[in-house]
Amino acid sequence: MSDMLRLIENEVQLAALAFLGLVYIVRLIWIFRFASRKERTFAAGSQGAGIRRSLANIAMPWAMESTRKDPWLYAQFVVFHLGVAAAIAATFIIPYAPHVFEIRAVVLLFQAVIGAAFLAGVLRLVRRLVNPVLRLISSADDYVSLVLMILFFAAGFLAVPNDIDRAEWPLIAFFGLTAFFLVYVPFSKISHYLYYPFTRFYLGRTLGHRGAIPQGTRPMSPGKDNERTSRPKGDPR
Amino acid sequence: MAGGRLQTYDPAGDNVRRFLELLAGRLTRPLTVSLTACVHCGLCAESCHYFLARPDDPTMTPVWKADQIRKVFKRHIDWTGRILPWWVKAGSVHDDEDLNRLKNIVFGSCSACRRCTYNCPMGVDTGLLVRFTRGLLTELGVVPEGVFNVSRDQWETGNQMAVSEQDYLETLEWMRDEVRAELGDDKVDIPIDRPDCDILYTINPREIKFDPRPIAQAAKIFHVAGESWTLPRWGWDQTNFGLFSGDDRLGAWVARNVYEAAERLRAKRIVISECGHGYRSTRWEGYTWAGFDQRVPTESVVVTLKRHLDQGRISVDPSRNAEGVTFHDSCNIARSGDLVEEPRDVLRRVCSDFREMTPNRRENYCCTGGGGLLSMAEYRPLRLEVAKIKAEQLRATGAKYVCTMCHNCIDGLNDVIKHYKLPMKVVQVLELVSKALVLPEKGGRG
Amino acid sequence: MPFIEIEGRRIEINEEGFLARPEEWTEETARLLAKAEEGLDDLTESHWAVVKFIRDYYLEKNLAPMVRKMCQATGFTLTQIYDLFPSGPAKGACKVAGLPKPDGCV
Repeated sequence: MSDMLRLIENEVQLAALAFLGLVYIVRLIWIFRFASRKERTFAAGSQGAGIRRSLANIAMPWAMESTRKDPWLYAQFVVFHLGVAAAIAATFIIPYAPHVFEIRAVVLLFQAVIGAAFLAGVLRLVRRLVNPVLRLISSADDYVSLVLMILFFAAGFLAVPNDIDRAEWPLIAFFGLTAFFLVYVPFSKISHYLYYPFTRFYLGRTLGHRGAIPQGTRPMSPGKDNERTSRPKGDPR
Repeated sequence: MAGGRLQTYDPAGDNVRRFLELLAGRLTRPLTVSLTACVHCGLCAESCHYFLARPDDPTMTPVWKADQIRKVFKRHIDWTGRILPWWVKAGSVHDDEDLNRLKNIVFGSCSACRRCTYNCPMGVDTGLLVRFTRGLLTELGVVPEGVFNVSRDQWETGNQMAVSEQDYLETLEWMRDEVRAELGDDKVDIPIDRPDCDILYTINPREIKFDPRPIAQAAKIFHVAGESWTLPRWGWDQTNFGLFSGDDRLGAWVARNVYEAAERLRAKRIVISECGHGYRSTRWEGYTWAGFDQRVPTESVVVTLKRHLDQGRISVDPSRNAEGVTFHDSCNIARSGDLVEEPRDVLRRVCSDFREMTPNRRENYCCTGGGGLLSMAEYRPLRLEVAKIKAEQLRATGAKYVCTMCHNCIDGLNDVIKHYKLPMKVVQVLELVSKALVLPEKGGRG
Repeated sequence: MPFIEIEGRRIEINEEGFLARPEEWTEETARLLAKAEEGLDDLTESHWAVVKFIRDYYLEKNLAPMVRKMCQATGFTLTQIYDLFPSGPAKGACKVAGLPKPDGCV
């Protein structure tokens, strides 16, 4: 193994990861500096149930008309993000648990997942370039982030065999991209996973409190009296 | 009383700077994350009746509309856009013309129905962003004339139609006399400011000014049910233009009037007549705007009617409403509130041919007049054009009546029905219950 | 400016279908508006009683009258007003009387 590969697999990754962690901490402090309002009304539902339902929305394609009507798009979403998970896992397996990729079946599995994600990424790029709505709203960040992910999948696909005797360049490309990602991601739309718990939490809290979600599980306002209504809960802040 | 609190547009003012200051000062955490989280996936597009009706116009999508405020946020508040604006499509507002353009988007091409919110995989609340932006513009007086006029009336008179106290009281007396004549019972009353009642009944000024029939229907049913109720002399307007204009201070003031009326009269419960935005404002948002901790149950009159039916305090004959009835869920009640099954439960008991429209409940389409659009004449042509989605949905039910528990939806749906020549009539739950009501034998409860 | 064309005449209306220039109202306009907007082929004496009251009230106070005042002045019950003008007092009768659209949730 060349010194360059060793460096890029280890020190560079850790430095980039530390940078990402640091920026995210500042980012979270920034988010928490914005106030959230206190709920003052009697509940008609449950904040907790609403939050849980809202967070689980990602795994419930039947719950939204938008994903129900277009399961193909939802399938692409799943494949794409499984690929992301597999590629990120590979960035840790290769330097810290290389024996895992000595098992041929594991390598093939990772290649299948990352390869499928590559195809999903290409489809998503085509959609973004062809659909007039997406063309109008897309920014450079939207395109570049997606193209980078597609390249990342391609590099990951080639890197997971971890066969440095044949060629080191796929690994250098893969880890080079990873390091770049770790630095770029906090400033890009790719950080949406950091915001997902927040948007989902607040939406779920409000709509859960009002009994608007989860749908179909809230008992009807009882005919007699709504003593069932609980006192407003304190802000969970 | 509250004059001077409504901002008028000052063409010489530094409106752009004020706009940016307000934007920075009013951001809350839910807003901030809704502004940062959008990934431009475009899934919201087809949840919006504006885009469904104009599929070739990407500016009709919720994401594009939200991006018009999002780009300003990115340019001035968020990180990357402040350094590399073009990279993330960040941009600012430069002059009053830009503010005016923004006004036409957030007031004119969105009914704030929140259907896209429910269809966003990321949980971005575009409905919330639209109301927030409206509020910034309202603060600068950059608002549609209709919204301005109604807000002014509500500030100045405590009700959105500038009904005087005398007119209010006389109309209630008139309705009382009508119900007395109808039932042949002089004990029927529409009490004003009676303390210690079970119910404080609050209404929409439209019921006083143009259509007081729902007041008579409620009075009749309450009388038969032996309800202890009153209307307040002040604080009777449950509607709230603060919801539409995004002005939390107006919202707080109007809602507080209702809450304080209930305190003053020691009412055990606030009941809101059939009104979507009034229900959302008084039951949910108002307490937050006013910083007022809820103390008494606050409910829609439909829930009150359901209770009367459940407890056997009124009996009904569904054969009196024999023709097909479908139900239109109000956005503000179904998506931003809690009542979905309750009105259906009542309708199934008072109608013999109840049928759902598709989609329904929380996926229903807006009546197209929501978000205050009925009071904004300048946006009517677009509103009626995109109403074709609603018209098709209504037509497919084949029902003779479309029932809704919202005054705003009545007028919105009436416009759709007239414009698209649908053979339908709009009714409310009170009207159907009143029609089905079986009057007790004379000498019974009185 | 949108308009309606009826019996070969052209009436300019605003976006809400109300008369563009309320001051230009004539009895002929009322008849045409009633036909085009309310589907009323003929205005009876009862219609005219309501329309004229609204018109006079508006000219005097620059305001649409409350429905109670319409009933008091004309002697009609609320139901009769709705029978006469299917779109109701605001969007029906006031429109025929050439008033601008009333403010608020109507």
